[in-house]
Amino acid sequence: MGIFSGKEQVQKSQAELLYEVQMRKERHFRANVGLSWFILLLILILAFSGQSLTIGSVTFRGIKVDTGFIANNLSFIAGGLGETIRISLMSIALAMILALLAALGRLSTFPPIYALSTFYVSLIRGTPLYLQIFFFFLALPQLGIILPGLIAGVLALGLNYGAYMSEIFRAGLSSVGKGQREAAIALGMTPSQTMRRVVLPQALRFAIPPVGNEFIAMTKDSALVSATGFVHELMWRSTKVGRAQFHNLEALIMAAIFYWGMTMILSYLQSRLETRLAKGDR
Amino acid sequence: MTSIVKISNLEKYFGRLHVLKNISLEVPERQVVCLIGRSGSGKSTLLRCINFLEQPSKGTIEVDGIVVHGGERGRENRQLVHDVRLKTGMVFQEFNLFPHMSVLENVIEGPITVKGMDREKAIKLGEEHLDNVGMLFKRDEYPNRLSGGQKQRVAIARALTMEPRVMLFDEPTSALDPELIGEVLNVMKRVAKEGMTMIVVTHEMGFAREVADRVIVMAEGELIEDARPTDLFSNPKDPRTKALIDRYRSGEQQ
Repeated sequence: MGIFSGKEQVQKSQAELLYEVQMRKERHFRANVGLSWFILLLILILAFSGQSLTIGSVTFRGIKVDTGFIANNLSFIAGGLGETIRISLMSIALAMILALLAALGRLSTFPPIYALSTFYVSLIRGTPLYLQIFFFFLALPQLGIILPGLIAGVLALGLNYGAYMSEIFRAGLSSVGKGQREAAIALGMTPSQTMRRVVLPQALRFAIPPVGNEFIAMTKDSALVSATGFVHELMWRSTKVGRAQFHNLEALIMAAIFYWGMTMILSYLQSRLETRLAKGDR
Repeated sequence: MTSIVKISNLEKYFGRLHVLKNISLEVPERQVVCLIGRSGSGKSTLLRCINFLEQPSKGTIEVDGIVVHGGERGRENRQLVHDVRLKTGMVFQEFNLFPHMSVLENVIEGPITVKGMDREKAIKLGEEHLDNVGMLFKRDEYPNRLSGGQKQRVAIARALTMEPRVMLFDEPTSALDPELIGEVLNVMKRVAKEGMTMIVVTHEMGFAREVADRVIVMAEGELIEDARPTDLFSNPKDPRTKALIDRYRSGEQQ
């Protein structure tokens, strides 16, 4: 027994050593990636700084942006952030409900329900999002249906994302094995109890990370709603001041920074959520 | 002795495939029956017909006085099937614990959701059954942190917490590493000793010989032999039974 435990310790420390080497390599790699990112960012900033840089006989001339315009309009454009996040949150909530219903419909053995689900997904995925947004803003009023800008935007985005996300929920539902349903049925659960207590909780957990990705994509696609002119989110605000003062370059750069920053924060939160879910992998 | 399970003239088809052929079988209270046979002989299907995980094509299933005719549909039939499922507990080869629930939650899910038992009472009952299978110490753990043997013991506790009249085991040790089989068989022996009626589909001849009151051999969808284990193992009548036993014997020696 004593001999064995000694041997085990040697093996363990060898494994630890290997692990340490691997970790060191990984840290090294990450540090270099970080440094490269920093340099790329520096080049980008330099490119828009208006400074010129001479290396040998070659001169790089940076693009000059109007800092006065940026300072004057920063708070106006930033004011659209809240609206962008609001429309995205409302749309993703609607999309999740529709996606779940569509996914459940795909599992139905009742032909009209199955048809309704596939019809919805086919129609929405077969037409451009841009068209759908304009449909709600421009086509519906012709029929006497005039929706507030935000509502029309949320409907269009929610319907569109719901159709795409139905695949995620479908995959989630089919990730729950047949044995799980059988165990629930054998306990005496009804089909609806089986769905609520056993299948859905597992399917939703499966769906959380991809839904997070969809949400990040949606914060950017919400910019399309600006085209209608009724929702004063980031994109609408930046094009408004950009066009009015012919400073589109500065205005779009500002909006881009806001979008990029927002998606970086959301991606970070998303990866945190994913590792947490993976830890509690049940 | 009264029969808990009574199967009469059961037929089961999968499409054109005739998997159960005119099976009749009675299992008295407190009896432990082992169903053995080669894979594809229909033993699992027979077991799954008892709690209607498979719908019988023809014949009747009676569990603790509830009579269900195969091949029927409709609300009344659904209610009867539901009543039968409350009388039967099932243990699966692949455990099928609910991965999103802790060990205790797995065990109390049935009583709370299906029977409407209040939570405190269900917890008390659940803890009792977990203790019986030696798994109370993992009460708040999630299934993915358990070994296969531990999972199966929890699955047995989950079925017992529903307080069934008969327990159905569908190859409960076939998915386990060899060194984990013993702990599950020991729990099953205990359940048998406490007087539970059990129908066990298994390849564990040792368990059949030691614990079963009766061993039934199946081949090609029929019951070919039905005897006390001592008689069956020492003096098999059907050549197919003999072949089956010889195969296990040679397997044991290796």
